Amino acid sequence: MNIAWKEIKKNKVRFMILGSIIFLVSFLTFIISGLSNGLSQDNAALIKDLPDGHIYMNSDAEETYNASKIDENLQSKILGDNKEATAFSIQMGFVTDNSDTQHSVAFVTSTGSNLFENVGKGEVIVDSSLKEEGIKVGDKLTNNQFSGAFIVKGFVDKKTFSHAPVAYINTENYKEIYRVSEMQLLFIPGEDKAQSFSGLQSFSNKKFLNTIPSYSAEQLSLNMITWFLVVISGMLFAIFFYMMNVQKIGLYGILKAIGFKTISLFVMMWYQMIFITLIALGISAALSQGFAVIAPKGLPFDLTTEASIQLTFIFITIGFVGATLSGIQIKKVEPLQAIQQGVV
Amino acid sequence: MSLFQIVEVKKTFKNGEVDEQVLKGINLTLKEGEITALVGASGSGKSTILTISAGLQRASEGRLVFEGKNLNEMNQEQIRKIRARQFGFIFQSSHLVPFLTVQDQLMVMLNVSETKLKKHEQKEEVEKLLKIVDMYHRKEAYPPSLSGGEKQRVAIARALIHKPKILFADEPTASLDSRRTKDVMTLIRELTRTMDITTLMVTHDEEMLSYADQIVTMKDGLIQ
Ligand SMILES: Nc1ncnc2c1ncn2[C@@H]1O[C@H](COP(=O)(O)OP(=O)(O)OP(=O)(O)O)[C@@H](O)[C@H]1O
Ligand SMILES: [Mg+2]
Repeated sequence: MNIAWKEIKKNKVRFMILGSIIFLVSFLTFIISGLSNGLSQDNAALIKDLPDGHIYMNSDAEETYNASKIDENLQSKILGDNKEATAFSIQMGFVTDNSDTQHSVAFVTSTGSNLFENVGKGEVIVDSSLKEEGIKVGDKLTNNQFSGAFIVKGFVDKKTFSHAPVAYINTENYKEIYRVSEMQLLFIPGEDKAQSFSGLQSFSNKKFLNTIPSYSAEQLSLNMITWFLVVISGMLFAIFFYMMNVQKIGLYGILKAIGFKTISLFVMMWYQMIFITLIALGISAALSQGFAVIAPKGLPFDLTTEASIQLTFIFITIGFVGATLSGIQIKKVEPLQAIQQGVV
Repeated sequence: MSLFQIVEVKKTFKNGEVDEQVLKGINLTLKEGEITALVGASGSGKSTILTISAGLQRASEGRLVFEGKNLNEMNQEQIRKIRARQFGFIFQSSHLVPFLTVQDQLMVMLNVSETKLKKHEQKEEVEKLLKIVDMYHRKEAYPPSLSGGEKQRVAIARALIHKPKILFADEPTASLDSRRTKDVMTLIRELTRTMDITTLMVTHDEEMLSYADQIVTMKDGLIQ
């Protein structure tokens, strides 16, 4: 017979209050986590979509990719030695369409590689978010640093950098716009360990993301909010179970007197905690998936299944810890005291 | 035959700096199947010796021999097992679990005592006993909706459902009027006789002494 379940059934309101608090906090956490991931994608999908590997920039660039210039001889040597490697550059800029509207883009160019789009001179492939701004295949885009015009050859899905749609252009066009002759970065995919080249500094994809100032600041604050909410919910669990346990001291005493094991009382509390948490988290997860569907297009929201499972796991763990800490008083309950106090 | 022996049991409570000896060497033998009534002035130590015997607190000195073993030398888990399987309790207030129905109160006790009965046998036992204490018609009721006498009858049933060897009762009728007291006492006597249960009971009530086989008077921590 399940005494834990019978208590929930008889005291529905009390447990529903706990459940709805857990639901609200976890829902908020799911939303923030989805936004955090969405913003991170929006900020750096270009880099995040790369396979595992290492990115190299000039040591003198002081971890600022914009300031990096890879020596051309070194570049050809590395590209010759590593067949999969590619050199690439990223610069923020603008394109103007035929109705004179400016669109902010991240120009990306690379030496031939299937990791990036390869485009011919005078051509451009842009992120599909520009479609919504009215740009079509065959449109002419101009840039005031560029003598010619780019013909839109096609679109790619979800390729963004620094919250701007990516525009892939040919290396020669790129060099003309930014008046440089060197590439900024080298990427070698698939190595577990970075190679060492004199004058170059290596970064894992993840470490490289953190060199982008807006990226690390944004993620840091969102992660802080997420963890803050997780900690708050842990405290809520502890406080709520503490209050319930205080009310039930007499009951625990009686149950101990008639021969209940202390561990059975803990199991009863854990069962209740897990039951309430799973329901609350189930609703949160379902609603946040629903939110992903109805969220306005401009709002970057991307809650992955892994993130949901991970958060669920964290919530259950922290609920377990909170409830157990507050349950230490159960261990201390003396059956005799409860009998002498006289309850019911 | 003696089922339970209390030998030279002493109990000292610390009251701040002062040690107060509440039991000063109690000797008492409970005879199998009999009701032993403990009487005496308030504060003479009746509840203390009862709860020590029932394994709810420790004696400072002395032996409590149940089936040849000394309770005072057992660890907490051994005592818990004995409480769950061999002892039954009735207190001044019924101490029922507020969120369980009358029949579930008894089912829980059967679970705790780790009975070997199958589920349907447990249910039959519970219903049989509820009929005996005349609470069968309220088996789906929750404690807050029961009267004092009804609660106490459920508490009696809970104390006996697992067929304990010893029933410990501390003023089981204190919260009842005199007619209900008679009903409850008659019930306790009948049930303990038919189930062959040994009883140790604390009482204030002169009337109840007619139900006892042995009457023991306590004064200032000693048996007179
Ligand atoms: N936990 C305790 N700590 C300190 N003193 C205690 C404790 N329990 C009981 N006493 C003291 O022991 C003495 C005997 O108490 P006990 O409850 O056994 O008396 P009693 O005979 O049952 O009285 P009553 O008839 O009023 O129930 C009292 O003086 C009481 O104050
Ligand atoms: Mg007493």
